[in-house]
Amino acid sequence: MAKSSENYILDMSVNRKAISEHAQKSMIFDTSAFISLESINILELVLSVFSIITTNSAIKELEEFAKHGDKYGRIAKNVLKHKSKFTIESCEITESIEYVESTDNELYNLSLKKKLPLVTDETKLVHHARHKIDVYFSPVFLILLLKSGHLSKQKALELLEELRNIRNWRNNMIYLITKNQLENL
Amino acid sequence: METEQFNIRMPKELVQDLDIISKLLKVNKSEWVKTKLAEEVHEEKNKLLMELSTLYAKGMIGKKKVEQLVGKDIADEMESIKVIAEKSVKHGLEYGKKLRKLHS
Repeated sequence: MAKSSENYILDMSVNRKAISEHAQKSMIFDTSAFISLESINILELVLSVFSIITTNSAIKELEEFAKHGDKYGRIAKNVLKHKSKFTIESCEITESIEYVESTDNELYNLSLKKKLPLVTDETKLVHHARHKIDVYFSPVFLILLLKSGHLSKQKALELLEELRNIRNWRNNMIYLITKNQLENL
Repeated sequence: METEQFNIRMPKELVQDLDIISKLLKVNKSEWVKTKLAEEVHEEKNKLLMELSTLYAKGMIGKKKVEQLVGKDIADEMESIKVIAEKSVKHGLEYGKKLRKLHS
């Protein structure tokens, strides 16, 4: 885990096994979800609680990002360090969404096939898929980790600001709605 | 790309300035104006949509108003983002509570 995360994440090592056994839930991640969570150093913690499934094409996208030395390249490199903890699958595209790329269509089909939620920050994908699959934006984990006692309210708000800046979200609705909820908790 | 004719009258000085730019950069005047206009339109459109979605997220305007202003497609997409952002919050709260119970 990144050093900056160590201070605010409570020690959950004792109960981690129990939590994993009883509460572990599988979720499907797209590239944007990996990038968002790693950019604020909470991907490792999320991986300790959830079983993450993704596709080969999402991994290829991350590898493409990782070739570059910019901020997304660096984040993608760090995501790929956790690759052994992901379940990587391929999925035939039997139902296609016209407005999204093939990588997203594969993830959408995987979510349909496995009946598992998809985590993504791609608003186009969310818009066209939301009536067919269970879908969430990545800040779901900020609320979840705050409510479960792994993050303080102050830290969760700081991480949301960090995420907003890295993702250039400005005042988008993902940011505004999550911030409003965090402030009222 | 499909195009549409759009005529505008410009002050003489502005056209002369465009001539200077065109000669110095060795670019086609119309192409240069088209590129600059596209950049400006894109930025302004995103800025205004962001402001509109802020009002919508805060409940200061409803979907009907958004639809009147920018059309059904954008209004539908804004609604989807709002619904899923709120659903994400709700799920985070519920699952977080569940994890806390297991942790204690």
